[in-house]
Parts: sequence; C-alpha cells; structure tokens
Amino acid sequence: MRDRGWVVLAVGAAALLALPFLRDQLGFPVFYLVFVSGALFWAAQATSWNILSGYSGYFSFGQGAFFGVGVYSLAFFFARRGLEWWVGVLLGGLLSMLLGLILGTIAFRLRKLRGEIFALLTLAIPFILVAVVRLSRTIDGGQGVGIPVPSYPDFLRPFQHFYFVLSVLVALLALSLAYAMRGTRYGWALFAIHDDEEVAEGLGVPTFRHKMIAIAVTGFLGGLSGAVFALNLGHVSPEGTFNLRVPLFVIVMSALGGRRHWAGPMVGAVYIHTLQNRLAAAGFEGWSLIILGAVLIALVLFAPDGLMSRFTRRPWTVTGVLAGVVIAMGLVDVGQPVDRLAVAMLVAAVTAFLPGGKKRRARVGETATTLGGVVPGPDGEGMPLPEVGRPLVTVSEVAKSFGGVDALAGVSVTVSEGELVGLVGPNGSGKTTLVNLLSGALPPTSGSITVDGVDIVGMTPHKITHLGLARTYQIPRPFLTLTVSDNVAIAIMFGRDPKGLGASRDAADAFLAMVGLDELAHAYPSEINLHERQLLEMARAMATGPRVLLLDEALAGLNPVEIDNAIAVVSRIHRSGVAIVLVEHLLRVVNQLSTRMIVLNQGLLLAEGEPAKVLSDPDVVTTYLGKRPNA
Amino acid sequence: MNELQSIVFGVLTGSFFALIALGISLAWGFLKVINLSHFGLVLIGSYLTFQLATSTGMNPIATVAVTAPAMFALGALIQWGFERFEVSELNSLLISYGILIIMIQVVQNTWSADFQRMDPGVNPYFVQSIAIGQLRFPVPTLLAAGFAIALVLLAHYVLEKTYAGRALQAFGQDRQISSAFGIDHRLLGVLLAGATGASGAIAGMLHALGQTLSPDAPFEWVGRVFAIVILGGIGNVTGTLYAGLLVGAVAGAVTFIWSASVAPLVVFSLVVLALIFRPQGLFLRKAEH
Repeated sequence: MRDRGWVVLAVGAAALLALPFLRDQLGFPVFYLVFVSGALFWAAQATSWNILSGYSGYFSFGQGAFFGVGVYSLAFFFARRGLEWWVGVLLGGLLSMLLGLILGTIAFRLRKLRGEIFALLTLAIPFILVAVVRLSRTIDGGQGVGIPVPSYPDFLRPFQHFYFVLSVLVALLALSLAYAMRGTRYGWALFAIHDDEEVAEGLGVPTFRHKMIAIAVTGFLGGLSGAVFALNLGHVSPEGTFNLRVPLFVIVMSALGGRRHWAGPMVGAVYIHTLQNRLAAAGFEGWSLIILGAVLIALVLFAPDGLMSRFTRRPWTVTGVLAGVVIAMGLVDVGQPVDRLAVAMLVAAVTAFLPGGKKRRARVGETATTLGGVVPGPDGEGMPLPEVGRPLVTVSEVAKSFGGVDALAGVSVTVSEGELVGLVGPNGSGKTTLVNLLSGALPPTSGSITVDGVDIVGMTPHKITHLGLARTYQIPRPFLTLTVSDNVAIAIMFGRDPKGLGASRDAADAFLAMVGLDELAHAYPSEINLHERQLLEMARAMATGPRVLLLDEALAGLNPVEIDNAIAVVSRIHRSGVAIVLVEHLLRVVNQLSTRMIVLNQGLLLAEGEPAKVLSDPDVVTTYLGKRPNA
Repeated sequence: MNELQSIVFGVLTGSFFALIALGISLAWGFLKVINLSHFGLVLIGSYLTFQLATSTGMNPIATVAVTAPAMFALGALIQWGFERFEVSELNSLLISYGILIIMIQVVQNTWSADFQRMDPGVNPYFVQSIAIGQLRFPVPTLLAAGFAIALVLLAHYVLEKTYAGRALQAFGQDRQISSAFGIDHRLLGVLLAGATGASGAIAGMLHALGQTLSPDAPFEWVGRVFAIVILGGIGNVTGTLYAGLLVGAVAGAVTFIWSASVAPLVVFSLVVLALIFRPQGLFLRKAEH
C-alpha cells in the first residue's frame, strides 16, 4: 500500500521523460511540451508551499520570496558571474533554503506566534527583497537582467526539450519529498503541529525542529524551481519576479487540490494551469481572475478538503471518466487535445463531487489486539499497588506570579515512584498553574523543579516529556484530523522510547485497550463523547512512556457511571507502575485513589499526607466548607 | 527645507494609508475578519468617483454622496456572508482574497487596464497646490490627510463614547459573552463592515483626486497598509493613525536621504522588527499598559 505512491511517481516521471524523445513518433507538437513544463513548474511551486503551509498549517504569503531568490540566484551566478547554469540553480535552492531558515529562526522562536502574524511576516519579506534587488547594482539595480541560453547536451536539443526535462526532475523531487514526508514521522509531526502545536510539543514532538525542517524544504524547492524557471526567461526584472502571482497561485492550487494530500497541490496546479491556458486561448483572459477567485471562495466554503480527497473516494470512476471523455472527444474529433483534457478534467471534478462514494471513515467495532500477558481486571484488581520508591519529581520553593497576582507563592512538593498523589484545592489555589509549570508550559518565576534529578526549568516541553513526564488537558485536545488510534500513535512516535511510523501505529492498540477505547480505534475525535475523549487524553499521555503522569481534572464533567469507569482506568494505570499526580475537585475520587494528598490554598501548601488524615485536618475542612459558626 | 518638505509630504501621504488601514484594522480587531476585499472597495470607490465625475460633471468630492452608500452596502453584504457561513479568521483571509481578485478583474473589464485620470476640468484639485510657509503641497494630498484624520478621530469617538462603540469593543473581546449580554453581534458586525466600506469609498475618492487610476493599485497598497495595521496594533484606531504618520514620516525621510526605492526596505524591516518584538503593536491603548 505504502509504496503505491512511489510507483505512481516513477511511472509518471518515466512517461514524461520519454515524451521529448518520442515526440516525433507521437506527432506531439513542441507547444505541448511547453504547456506541460508550465504545469510542472506550478506543481513544484505549489508542492513546495504545501509542505510548510499545508502540512504544518503555517500559512505563508511568501512563496514569491523563495521563488524570487531562486530566479535572482540564477540571474546573478549564471548570467552575471558566468558560473555554470546548474551551479546557479543549486545555489538558488540553497540560498532560498537559507532565507527559509533565517525566517524560521526569527518567527518560530516566538512561543506564542499566531498563524496570522506568521502569514503577514511572510507577506512583508518579498517587499524587502524587491527593494534590495532594485537597489543593488550588483544584483539588478532596477534595469532587469538578461538570461543567456545555457549550454546543454546535444541529445536534449532543442531548448524546450532540455527545459522540459529539468521541469520534470524538479517536480519529481518536490513530489517525492512531499510524499516521503507524508509517510514518515516528519510529516506526522507536521500534521500534529497543524492540529494543535502545544499538545504536539507536550507529547514529545520537537516542534521547533520540525517547523525548521519544513520551512527549509519549502525554501529549497521554491528556490530550485524558481531558478530553473528563470532559465526559460530571456530577461528577469524585480517587478516581474516579486509580484503576487506566485504566492496567489500556489494558495489557490493547493486549496483546489487539497492541502493534506501530497499530490493535492499538483492536481490543483494541473487544473488551474490548464484552465488558465484554455481561457487565454479562447480569448477569455478577462475572466481568469474572476474564475480563480470564485474557485477559491467556493472551495474554502464548501470543499475545504479539496479535489484529491474526493478523488481518493472513487479513484476508478474518476480515472474512467477522465479517460472516457478524452477518448470520446478524440473519436468525435472535437477540439484540440488540450481542450479535450480540460473538458475531461472538469467532468471528472464534477463526478468527484457527486454525493455518495466510498468514504474513508471510521470502522467502528473493529476490535484491536490487547496487551499480551495478564489483562488486568476492570479496576486493576489482581495487580498489587506498586511500592513507593525514590523521588521522581522534586519541586522546591516554586513561585509563579502573573503580573501582580501570585498564583503560587513558594511551594515545595515531591512525587515518588509508585505514588498516586491527589492534588486538591479550591478554585484559584494554583493547581493548574503547578501542572503547567511541571509540564514546561510556563516557566516558574522562582524556585527549581527537577525530574529524575534533572533540572527542567527553562526546558522545552518535549524534552520534559522525554524525561518521563506526561500530562493531560482538562478540556481534551485531541488532534482532530487524526483517528483515535493515530492520536496515540503520534505520542508513541515521539515519546520517551520513540518508534517508527509503522511500529507506532501497530503499538497504539495496546494503549487504547488500557483505557478501553480499542473499539473506537478508527473513529475520529469528533465522533466520540467527552468521556471517551478524556480517556483518549490518558491513552495518548501513557503512549509517551511516562514515569509520572499529570492528570489535570481528567474526570471533570462526567456522570457517575463514567466517573467509576475513569477511576478504574486511573487505578489500572497506577498499578502498571506509573506515578500519578491527580488534580481533582471530587474528594470522593481523590480519597478512593490517592496514596497521598496535597492541598493547595491561595498558592501555598495547606496540608499534605494520607488522605484520611488530610481530610480531617481542621484547616482543610475550613477551606473547603467554611468556618463552623459556633467554632 | 527640502527634508522638511519631504517628511511632511510623507506624513500627509501616510495619513491617507492610515485611512485604508483603519477599515482593515477595525474589521480584524472587532469582527475577526482579515478583510482583503476592503482594498477592492477602495478601488471600486475610486473608479466610481472617476466615472460619476467624468460622465455627470459632478464635483469629485461630492461623489461620495453616492459612492459611500454603495460601498456601505457592498461591505455590509460581504460581512453578512462571513457571518452566514461562520468563516474563521484564516479562511476570511482566503475568501476575501478571492473577492479582491474578482473585484480587480471586474474593474479591469469595465474600465480597462489602462491608466485613467479625471480631466482637469472635472477635477480642478489635481493641479492645485497650497503654500504653507516655505513648503508647498498638492491640494489632493492635503485633502486626503484632512479627511483621513477627521475620519480616524470620528471612529475613535464612536468607539469610545457611544453605546454601539462600547458594544463593539465587548464583541471584539469575547463574542459569546457579549452575545449573552444582549448584544446583537450580527447586526453590529454588518453595520461596522458597512461603515468601513463607506470609509473605503472616501479613501477611493481621495485616491481618485490625486492619482492616476489603475486596477493593480490594491497590490501596491497591501504591503504599506498591513505595515500600518500591524504597527498600529490590530483594532487600535488611534494607533493606526499614529502608525500611518510614522510610516509616512520614515518613508519621507528615507526618500530624501537615499531614494524612494529604499523606503519599502526600511518600512518593512520596521514591520518585521515590530512583529518580532511588539506583536501587539507599537501604540498600546491606556487600559493595556
């Protein structure tokens, strides 16, 4: 299954590469090669854009910057400095990658960077570049640069053949990278970042590194493709290079084809390029922006998943319609071959959007294999309570203030192996703040926190996860575009004991069985209820391989039956040897589960010890129930 | 004296861009819509002014009596669509981009891609200039600055002092809660979008007074306007004006010291720095200090 994409890519590339050599035999005019080269250029640019913006969700208006760096690298190194053309092309890719890395270093360092701000940052970059290019006489100076025809091997004559082959190779590289990423941990990390970056980081995904990889690949491909494109231009100018054409087109193409599928941008590129070409040929150039705009609006509103997700539901029907219309029109001899293709593509797209078809959806009821060995009883009975061992988490004198408010005012606690610590306190006592400090979501104002002897203050959350500390969120935050099973698989892939993609997906079932979600493995998070989502949170946190699990009000909003079930799950996790910090409002739950209790009040430690003892502490009673009037 | 002339001219031009930025900033801050189609409204407004003045001989400034209501309706209609389909912030950017390019194409198909300008007989302001001390300024630039500053101050007054303005502020901070307190956010949103559309019509009129028209103009505005929106702080009315004046002054100074083509380099470097260090804008409102 996984290799089907490689077969498609190899066959497609081989067929295209053979085209120039068989052109005479096939009676294929050179005009068609130029046409296909154009489609390949857009396929490469759109695919390049999509790796950053589609996969990871960081929307960029700056594709023109990468493209432009490529164009001007070729103009500078090849046309002005007289280096070999391929040196210029390669440097175009590398310099553009460098631009991406610089941009990423600046933008992705900001922890609370909003997607819109990133989009606008990328909007500003081309304006800066065009000013530099226009000003610098060494690069351009505003007059434009003439590009001579490069020297190339004789067997690729004429130039259109040479350019076509280069276009195929660049598009092949772009699509191969997009496809390879889709099927590995790198791509999955980007999907997780797309859905919820903070959660991804908390599950052990090094989000900064993955965003940098994505922007580097996007930059490299954008620059490489731009430099090759420039070979085809006799003359380049700042205005002709850094305009909004490239950034606009890649967005529309990717939206049309589908941003989640590796081939989506390519499909969109072929559609838009063909459409544009036919409109121009028919003298309807004045309609091209209107149609593009309408397509963009309609897609965003009604089909945000794009064409590719529709095609994969009924691939044979679509292929059949495409081939059928082309052949039928050929037999009747209507229009040029490109016209036939354009009509066939439109009919195929309409077919794809007809209702029905095989929907890739949840296979509810499919059972999963459980963990080998002893399956623990419903609440873990039959497994002994673990022994209390050495301290795992040590919090000393930690304080955290927000503005002038002290959420925590100097708290020292420890959590040891085998413990289940109930953390309670009234609203605003600092429970959730403590969880956020432990997981690295917030830095403490003062004090120190160690996990297994390692100081974690200032450490990024994914590194803390790798030390063996995982958390859940009070309001579950599953990755909405991944199935329940794949939500867990991500955590295994990037957890303390990381596994490859296939191994992680196989291993996910065991964690789902642990919380009793194995029946829902293939459902999407939108299809399961709150209780199940909370269990998914726990399964996902457990999949990172934690030694300490922070459960932040994991039972909030449940009915009594669900609470009993959740208690059984928590108990089972505890008995499997994981220390737990349970933040909870329900004293019944804490009392039943915890081996030790910690009570916070107004940012300070109020009481600590065995549950029974703590619950009878007069201070605790006062805090929870108020003063007795006669006391 | 030349440097002062250059800087003051930059400031005056900057206030015109602040007027366009105002519409974007208000919609973004209060309606959570990044409305690129606002540029299209300004463009259509400018061509309508051109058409009305040229074919009926109307005073070009008076054309806003027609164009402002028209752009009010168009802006309100677009916002109604956004509300109807519950469009997210990022999607509003994509959809309004689609609307913008449709508008540009319609303008181009209607009035051609060639440069257009009102006849001096129709638009006497084009060639007029006024001397202030030793400085001399074109009348269209002064008019643009005057209108822009007046409108920004008006918007500021409405937002701070009127019930509708306060309701909008509440809405901008939390939609659900404000709705729970009885604010009809759809109506308010549509009205605000209409008002920004009308301000776009005025900006379009001012553009038509002093410049030659071309359907590509929005692409020349996008960069500078977003620079102002970001520097001013999203949804911050007076901040937008200050940012416009600042960007104008910087561009004017840079133009004088080096050349006009260095201006975008400096302005956008400023934007990048602002985004990195002050993503909330340079000019904070008092309550946020």
